[in-house]
Amino acid sequence: MSHGYLFLSGPVGSSGAVVPHHRSSRYFLMALAALVLGFFLAMSSAWADDGAGVPNAVPPKGEHEGKNVEQPIEFPHNIHVDVNKINCMYCHTYARRSKVAGIPPTSKCMGCHLVIATDKPRIKKLTEYWEKKEPPRWKKVHDVPDFVHFTHEKHLKRFVFDNEGMSVDRVSEVCAFCHGEVKKMTVAHKVKPLNMGFCARCHEANKGPFDCWKCHK
Amino acid sequence: MSLNNILTNWSRYRKGAEEGGFHEYEHQWGMVVDLNKCIGCNACSVACYAENNLPVVGEKRCGKNQAMNWLRIERYWDEPDLEPYNATPSANIDAWIEGNPPAKKTELKPSMPSSYLPGLLEEGGQNFEQRVGFGGTKSEFQDFGASFLPMMCQQCHAATCEPVCPVAATYHTPDGLNAQVYNRCIGSRYCSNNCPYRLRYFNFWSYYEDAWPEPLHMQLNPDLSVRDKGVMEKCTFCIQRIRVAKDKAKMEDRKVIDGEFSTACVQTCPTGALVFGDMQNPDSQVSKLWSYHQVERGKTKQSKQNKELRGYRVLEGLNTDPSVLYLERVREV
Repeated sequence: MSHGYLFLSGPVGSSGAVVPHHRSSRYFLMALAALVLGFFLAMSSAWADDGAGVPNAVPPKGEHEGKNVEQPIEFPHNIHVDVNKINCMYCHTYARRSKVAGIPPTSKCMGCHLVIATDKPRIKKLTEYWEKKEPPRWKKVHDVPDFVHFTHEKHLKRFVFDNEGMSVDRVSEVCAFCHGEVKKMTVAHKVKPLNMGFCARCHEANKGPFDCWKCHK
Repeated sequence: MSLNNILTNWSRYRKGAEEGGFHEYEHQWGMVVDLNKCIGCNACSVACYAENNLPVVGEKRCGKNQAMNWLRIERYWDEPDLEPYNATPSANIDAWIEGNPPAKKTELKPSMPSSYLPGLLEEGGQNFEQRVGFGGTKSEFQDFGASFLPMMCQQCHAATCEPVCPVAATYHTPDGLNAQVYNRCIGSRYCSNNCPYRLRYFNFWSYYEDAWPEPLHMQLNPDLSVRDKGVMEKCTFCIQRIRVAKDKAKMEDRKVIDGEFSTACVQTCPTGALVFGDMQNPDSQVSKLWSYHQVERGKTKQSKQNKELRGYRVLEGLNTDPSVLYLERVREV
């Protein structure tokens, strides 16, 4: 499945968008496209998802074994992102313009699911919520303490929109820095520690601001 | 930056700008307080309480100097014998109009009988007039001649509080502010001891249960934390507002515009006595006022050409290099 994904997703093979940052010449890579592509295929899933392919970025290191959070509906991220290739920011629209990434309103779900897969049990549950005019009470998985100021928009600006050689189609690799491989999960599961050391190591490696008051409030 | 910066560049913080104590600032937030315009209404102080989740500690704790007023209005009184504040103008209005106020202090009567204030009478015989001295002869204060001075953290560039912190919980930010990191503070209170302005406030208690009983906790500002006991805190020049403005400017790839935002006290002041801005921007209102009043940073004594200019900084002789400029009050005497 992951091989198919790599072939289908345009930017990987064709535009040279995955140039490792230490190699400055894009043309050099174009010439070696076949070799590199072979390398990708061999490494496939591990390579594409741990964020190592994002140019001008050092992915933060750190592992965490988070608890499974039971959600009202077992939302399958993998079907949406991995199989159907929906961009993270299609549903989490606020990520690029506010502090929080945002949970989509039920109307956004129903925009598709009025017609798609209406016979599946999860969608039937969703439709129940929709008809009751009640939002599913999603539970927060990735939370930082109240004394921490974190903005999604600035991180996306740094790693996606202002990042040369990075395309918005591959935003999930940047999300994976802190959220792990959500596209392989059903409901999100905390796999990164999201503590101060985790943040500080990444800020150090990527030359982020290092002032206490940037994050502590 | 923070700890690493403090350790490597420690000595730079102890010197004025002319001695090479230069720090490359992104911004230099500064303030101007025009005491001519200040009417002592305390609106700035109230705004500060609302904006910064400050607890109202109550009368008893206030009496023990445990009030958490990050911005306080200090009162100063003219000397009682000083002309012409020793007489009621209403009683001698003719003499005042003619220009000779009576030299002798007249006996003053209460301006409001205590029966008007039944709710304020205290048990045990001591009434409101005696306690507060509301215009009566037993007044603790004079009827006239009060001057007001809003006092907030002076955000010194050679701050005395910074080097004494054993855990570097207070440090200098690239914005030229004295930061206080609540998570790092261990409550040694050395900083407050060392502050010549007495502008650091210590949480002797956990106030959140008393100060914001439900549903008042809904009014708390989510942009900054509610401090618990054992932590020092102080005016931050509304860092949460600065942060929002800087984030917005960065998202739009521009610089912060002067007047785009201001601190809560500045926003609230009804007479416009307070002005806030970036002193690195030569076009900002704050820098213009500083240069107009010929007050310069990094000096322990100003060399003004024009002695009539009103600008001064509080206790600048101590080489604290404060960021707040006060414009002296001018009164007819």
